[in-house]
Amino acid sequence: MKTENKNIHGILAEFRNPKELVDAAETVKESGYSEFDTYAPFPIHGMEKAMGLKESPLGWIVLGGGLIGFIGALTLMIWVMGYEYPMNISGKPLINFPIYVPITFELTVLLSAFAATFGMFALNKLPRLHNPLFNVERFKKASDDGFFICIEASDDLFEEKPVSKLFSDAGAIHVETVYDSE
Amino acid sequence: MSKHHTTDNLDYPSDLNLQKPLFAVGIVALIASFVGYFLDHDQFFFSYLTSFSFYSSIALGALFFVMLQHLTRSHWSVVLRRIPESISANLPIWALFIIPVLLGMHSLYHWTHADALAHDPVLQGKEPYLNTTFFIIRQIIYFAVWGFLGWRMHRKSVEMDKTGDWGLQTLLRRTSGPGIFVFALTLAFASFDWLMSLDPHWYSTMFGVYFFAMAFQCLFAVLILVVVFFWKKGLLKNTLQKSHLYDLSVQLFGFTVFYAYIAFSQFLLIYYANIPEETVWFLERLNGGYEYLAYFYLFGRFIIPFIVLLPKKSKSNPAIASTIAGLILVSHLVELYWIVMPVLNPHGFHFSWMVITSFLGLGGIFFGLFFNTFSKERMIPVNDPKIEESLRKH
Repeated sequence: MKTENKNIHGILAEFRNPKELVDAAETVKESGYSEFDTYAPFPIHGMEKAMGLKESPLGWIVLGGGLIGFIGALTLMIWVMGYEYPMNISGKPLINFPIYVPITFELTVLLSAFAATFGMFALNKLPRLHNPLFNVERFKKASDDGFFICIEASDDLFEEKPVSKLFSDAGAIHVETVYDSE
Repeated sequence: MSKHHTTDNLDYPSDLNLQKPLFAVGIVALIASFVGYFLDHDQFFFSYLTSFSFYSSIALGALFFVMLQHLTRSHWSVVLRRIPESISANLPIWALFIIPVLLGMHSLYHWTHADALAHDPVLQGKEPYLNTTFFIIRQIIYFAVWGFLGWRMHRKSVEMDKTGDWGLQTLLRRTSGPGIFVFALTLAFASFDWLMSLDPHWYSTMFGVYFFAMAFQCLFAVLILVVVFFWKKGLLKNTLQKSHLYDLSVQLFGFTVFYAYIAFSQFLLIYYANIPEETVWFLERLNGGYEYLAYFYLFGRFIIPFIVLLPKKSKSNPAIASTIAGLILVSHLVELYWIVMPVLNPHGFHFSWMVITSFLGLGGIFFGLFFNTFSKERMIPVNDPKIEESLRKH
């Protein structure tokens, strides 16, 4: 069985409308699957709850980036201007926090923005040039009028037959196994 | 009557009569302040000016907020718009409270002294603008403009409650466009007149923006406190929702950062350029005990609110949001005190009870007038075409 499963990406099911998709997502979640995702032409209200998605950790990543920028900027300026290369600028103190503010502010913002952008990439597993779902002709409807859900083979509970049955019972109009492209 | 998805009673409860006790506190405290006039009239006028600019800034912030909501056709704010409308609707009456400042001009403003003028080429150069007659004329213009705008914004909105005429919101939007333009100019010049001309030699071109940033930040603090107070009294519990409080907190947070940016820009440019005629203003205010006030408001209206309001959860928590709002208002008073009082006591910090009595006195009158106006009309603009969307907000 193992060798056969190797090429399976997951099982894709199509539903008639957003309401059925939300119900199906809820059923899938309650059956204990965790490696699955839903695809629809537009954001569906209440989907995060139905899928049991936790709040994104992105905020904490941004906070981390911001703090690194803040502390890094201050450390750099105190070290350089206070100890490594002290210079008398118009008689002001060597370690002088008011004039550090603009650079500290800029670096905090810059690293927060980096953390937000690249953190978002990492959480979405980007950049990714191809997704096996694109092998399915029908999946093009996901950007038009199709409502899909896919349980991926990487899920611990994944087995072809029960998953297909689960989808049919949930009212899917089409169920299809998706293979990785060679 | 249009259909609403709210179960609240939209009429102000007749048993919640707050204006009487507020007016009583206001009048008693103002009389106490007036006794202070005979003990030390300079102290009286400086304390009065501090409190007067405090409440004026809130009223002006409210006026700006109402005009901004009309101009942007905002949906989210419609259910709480009656609160700032009722604050700025009293600007015509509030104009009377500029009179003590005019009577105290000789105590407050050094440039009114003829002997100082005679020996001071700087003051002579500014004489065409800084002279008693023109000062009084300007105050009349400011309050005529603000009073008209504040009265009209409230009046027409209330009219829409009764007639349901949606054309009135177009009318208000058309008033708001030029209104906001005139408002920006008058507010800037008023801040130059009331506060900056206390030190007639010193000038900062961004003082007007600085005063606006303070005013608008405080307006959101006041709105949060009023909303949380209404909830405590069981008013509008289902009409004003958590999401409205959240939006107010987001704006409070945003304008906290805006205020800090403006206030610090003013400081940094002067500090860095280090030109004596400019730095003297900060030198006086960062010595003799005044530096502790500066540290207090630095933490009280920027650093602490910034850190506490950063997480999403604290923005919609009534206890946290109202505590921060209170802290910001206290810091606003401290900052105005820090701007005004070093002119009276240049050599060091000196506290007087008259600051407290004039603050309570004008505060009692200010909020008494607010509740008086607010209690007479429906608590939300019931016939505004955007009200449904504002109520359905989540």
